[in-house]
Amino acid sequence: MIDERMEEQASLYVLGVLTPEETREFEAALSRDFELQHLVEKLRVSRDALAGALPQATPPPALKEKIRAQISAQEKIVPLLTNANEHGTGWSIWLSWSLAACLAIICGISLSQQRNLRQKIGEQAKQIVDLNVLADSLRSETQDLQHAVATLQETNRLANLRIAMLGSLLTDSPKAVAVSLWDENQQRGVFVVQNLKPLPADKDYQLWVIDPKYPTPVSAGVFQVDAQGNVRLQFKADKLIESANKFAVTLEPKGGLLTPTLKNLVLMGG
Amino acid sequence: MFQPYGIATQPITLDFLRGFCFFQSSEGMSEPALNLEQDIELLRRIGDGDRSAFDSFYDQYSGLLFSIAVKILNDAKEAEDVLQEVFMQIWNKADAYDPLLGKPASWAVTLTRNKAIDRIRASNRRSRLLEQATVEANVATDPSPSANEKLHGRENAQMIRSVVAALPLDQRRAIEMAFFSGLTQDEIAKNLQEPLGTIKARIRRGMLKLREKLEGCI
Repeated sequence: MIDERMEEQASLYVLGVLTPEETREFEAALSRDFELQHLVEKLRVSRDALAGALPQATPPPALKEKIRAQISAQEKIVPLLTNANEHGTGWSIWLSWSLAACLAIICGISLSQQRNLRQKIGEQAKQIVDLNVLADSLRSETQDLQHAVATLQETNRLANLRIAMLGSLLTDSPKAVAVSLWDENQQRGVFVVQNLKPLPADKDYQLWVIDPKYPTPVSAGVFQVDAQGNVRLQFKADKLIESANKFAVTLEPKGGLLTPTLKNLVLMGG
Repeated sequence: MFQPYGIATQPITLDFLRGFCFFQSSEGMSEPALNLEQDIELLRRIGDGDRSAFDSFYDQYSGLLFSIAVKILNDAKEAEDVLQEVFMQIWNKADAYDPLLGKPASWAVTLTRNKAIDRIRASNRRSRLLEQATVEANVATDPSPSANEKLHGRENAQMIRSVVAALPLDQRRAIEMAFFSGLTQDEIAKNLQEPLGTIKARIRRGMLKLREKLEGCI
């Protein structure tokens, strides 16, 4: 038996004016009461009749086409499967699923390959970075080595240089002095003279290299000094010098001598 | 809030629904266009994506649903929008419809009413609702053809209208305000300047009277 309160709630329920909480309570009661369900359905029919008693309003004809167009645009998803079940042929369903499965497998393989390639690319990129670091390191080491070699070469070159200071043997030019730098490897030298008396045109100073290998000094050429008694010149010996023990300068006739007499020594040192 | 379907645990049979005057045709009266079995079949086909079934359902009920939307919104353009939303929902949800839980027409009426009320509430037109609610209830007093004519035939529609018109005015006003205005129970009571209990009682008496008269009228 439905009491008045439940009839009231049922009426408000079908009219949609129960509060959310009242709706929950009423639906809970409704789910348990068949008689109440019966009443609700009758009241719902009454409600529809009341609504149907409204003056007829006709929607514009274009609205139907508009809705149909929206349906076409939407391309309903669910009915496609339902239609296939009821009206489609078996092979078409299996074909669709097979294609979908193939596509899924291909996508899976592609993704896997793509992942592997990305991994390899990543590894190779890391290797390139490492190699670049190594190359930079080697380049730096090479430069250091080149620098070291240059230093060693310079050290070696200096080690091979023979430096000799020549003092004056002249009473009228006591301040005359000369320095000889001899490079045994290159068999050439630099000779610098200061404060040596200038010579007349028919005379030359002659430079000699004294090497124990030879019984007599080896000529290294003739030279003149400027008005201040200074000169800087490069020289070579007439023979291969193995050990330049001493250097000497003599005063000789113009052009010098092939065989030294060392009678007119001007400068001497070693 | 308003979900009349999906709660029944006992089956509602066609015989049960035919117990109402809407589903009976009497001698000497127009044959009602409404047919429950046809409607259920239409919804089943719509659920399968059958557009011709959709067209039939639209032709059958668009007038009734549009009338409800116009009544609630008082705006034909907005009512068109609501009708479009309702029929799109019918198209998309018809396959989920369970005939044991109620008849398709009631489902569509509920959808339309709720969407129209939601729209008017969303647009924050409460003041307009209250203003509209003061207008004299006119469902049964308008002499122009009603939506029921297409569904139940002219003679049945006139009978339904006469039953509605025979309701005491205070009961009819309370019922129409509840269904068409979107006002809450308290707002209806305040608008009609009556205690809430009185309003609930009027609605109950009016709805039961409608049920009683309509049950034997068609």
